[in-house]
Amino acid sequence: MIPLSWYLALSAVLFTIGVVGVIIKRNVISMFMCIELMLNAVNLTFVAFSSYFGDVTGQLFVFIVMTVAAAEAAVGLGIVIAIFRNRESLDVDDASVLRL
Amino acid sequence: MLSALLLQAGMSLTTARTPAGVGGPVSGYWPVMVFFAVAVVFPVLPVVLGRFVRPNLYGEAKMRPYECGIDPTTEAHDRFTVRFYIVAMLFLVFDVETIFLLPWAIIFMGDDFSFTKFALLEMFFFIGILVVGYYYAWRKGALEWA
Amino acid sequence: MNLSFAIPLSAPDVNFRLLLPELILSVTGVVVMLVDAFTGRSQRRATATLSLAGLAATAWATLWLWPSAQGADTRAWGGMIVLDPMRLSFTLVFLIVAALTVLISAIWVEWEGLPAGEFHTLLLFATVGMMLMASGNDLVMIFLGLEILSIATYVMAGFRKNDLRSNESSLKYFILGSFSSAFLLYGIALVYGATAHEVSAQPQASGALAQHVILAGTTNISAIAERVNDGLYPPLLFAGAAMLMIGFGFKIASAPFHVWTPDVYEGAPTPVTAFMAAGPKAAGFAAFMRVFLLAFPFVAASGQMRSTGAQLHDAWLGALWILAVLTMTVGNVVALVQTNVKRMLAYSSIAHAGYALVGFVAAGAADSAHQTDAVAAVVFYLLAYAVMNLGAFAVVTLIARSGDRRTDIEDYRGIGFDSPALSLTLSLFLLSLLGVPLTAGFMGKVMVFSQALGEGYKWLVVIGVLNTAISVYYYLGLIVVMFFRERTTEWRAPRIPTTLAVVLVLTVAGVIYLGLFPGRVINAFRAVQPIAVSSLR
Repeated sequence: MIPLSWYLALSAVLFTIGVVGVIIKRNVISMFMCIELMLNAVNLTFVAFSSYFGDVTGQLFVFIVMTVAAAEAAVGLGIVIAIFRNRESLDVDDASVLRL
Repeated sequence: MLSALLLQAGMSLTTARTPAGVGGPVSGYWPVMVFFAVAVVFPVLPVVLGRFVRPNLYGEAKMRPYECGIDPTTEAHDRFTVRFYIVAMLFLVFDVETIFLLPWAIIFMGDDFSFTKFALLEMFFFIGILVVGYYYAWRKGALEWA
Repeated sequence: MNLSFAIPLSAPDVNFRLLLPELILSVTGVVVMLVDAFTGRSQRRATATLSLAGLAATAWATLWLWPSAQGADTRAWGGMIVLDPMRLSFTLVFLIVAALTVLISAIWVEWEGLPAGEFHTLLLFATVGMMLMASGNDLVMIFLGLEILSIATYVMAGFRKNDLRSNESSLKYFILGSFSSAFLLYGIALVYGATAHEVSAQPQASGALAQHVILAGTTNISAIAERVNDGLYPPLLFAGAAMLMIGFGFKIASAPFHVWTPDVYEGAPTPVTAFMAAGPKAAGFAAFMRVFLLAFPFVAASGQMRSTGAQLHDAWLGALWILAVLTMTVGNVVALVQTNVKRMLAYSSIAHAGYALVGFVAAGAADSAHQTDAVAAVVFYLLAYAVMNLGAFAVVTLIARSGDRRTDIEDYRGIGFDSPALSLTLSLFLLSLLGVPLTAGFMGKVMVFSQALGEGYKWLVVIGVLNTAISVYYYLGLIVVMFFRERTTEWRAPRIPTTLAVVLVLTVAGVIYLGLFPGRVINAFRAVQPIAVSSLR
């Protein structure tokens, strides 16, 4: 049996990769994929705990997270389409009408 | 067909090895690994063998993108029309909602009838909300391809 | 692998009565959506009226529930939703914000020819999300409420879809909002794991062994509070609480997690900015306070002071102190150099989150009797902020006109005597934001600071007062620009439409009422004790 800590370490690593990706990537779609990676790292944590405990609550949470992620993805795509129609580029450095 | 047979063979192998099916997480994946190995070998082998068997004849016609038909005039990395994305968005949302149907289908009988009644009503309610969303998308013209 | 349900599968205890406000508003949202879909283009009035009626009905249900907050029956959905004064008072704040936003946006959707029905639907669903954040007693429910709110708000920020600024605002809000949601979620996952506890499960269906013992984590706030001291993995609990704090810190726009705020607030359409600065911020506070005050309270294990619960409590209270100081200071100092009114108000909103955090720190340090008062003070502060902020943004909307063109401070030059109604009301709101006596902002600050003093946070209050002194410069600066600078370009005084006039009258009355007679409101907010730590069983 693989110990629980391995799963937790893996999901922590995945989460960190996602965080770093959101920070350094410049393309909206890539940033978006990194956010999905973060959410799925969290799902892994939930499933690992749930399986280790033998308790379904964590897995129920995963269902909810997946649905929410899909809704977010739909809205994100909508925003990306709106920007693309107005600007023809998906690089966030081009999205700079507003100062940072 | 063949792969299914192989998968079954792999499974019977592993179940024979681990008593009463309580294998650890790794040994439980043996069938998958066998399947993966077969999946790699199966397409690679003919390609490699074909290299030695087939004749090599290159001519001008042979080197064109398509041997017959019209030559491509635009680049391969063409943009898709934005309508695909709208359909993708709608698909994404409605597709993921089915995720709730599967666990529901397993437990909706519950331990007594009061739960079944509740679960059935709840699911009709849920689907009713989805239908409202669907009609909204329809009325707003999100399903039109024009 | 044996997975089992900790509860038997019989009909759950729903208790629809306690869900009444949320149910009414959800149904209204769906109805507005259908009306919008099935009528023609000229349904602007209809959906606005329907939304206002729905909000009024919800407010009625909330007030109707108010006396029962004292009773024994305060749990719905098996403890996922609770009824307590914190929920009801926050709900009332959200309803006021939503109703005023409907009124402010009426003129704006007309100017820009936007689909009003969609806007109202999104606004109502966002309000439902906020209410769930305030009423959820389970991290699942709080997360769902947060996402319902956020997803609706992302769309609202980009509602003017042909304007690049609006698009970009929406995109930035979306990326950073989902980023922070992920942190929040990771925190929830870690807390779930850290609170693992042995429970005896029901035996499975036929052929199962006799009753066996399983481990189970929890996401229920009351249950977390009970298990703080004897969870299996204390380090995970600390990590989880830290992640939760980062997530909520983003949502309430506290420094150092505030970088998204100015851009999003500037680019979003002005009525949406008004909503975002008042509503979601208050909702973030509602969830933040419920999770940290009720799930991670000061729990000393028998005899020893350095129990896990006590350490965790010290840790988050210390972090919150730093967060409050940073938020106040960064907000006020950066607001000094802004040239755009919306950006200035965005930094001002960061600073106000800092003042409210002062009250939150006091609530965290207080014992359960004083905690109610401190929480009531924070809710009062957020209500006062919502009212004066929405009023100020109503004026900004009108001056900016269609397309949000005139939002620079230069555009306000010398308009004071040409449009006295607008500039005088804006001045009142700015003075209230500053905290001049006899206004709502002053009473809010007094309450929050006196709670903090009562808990012995002298330095925090000193820093808060110094920050108020800094803020004099930019609030009064705008008033000076309006009244004592010459107009260099042509100025046509805008006609004040009826809906906006209603908003201005209501907000002016609210600012003065809350400033002069805060007693009734604050008493209503703290009339009942919030649920005690261990009310789960």
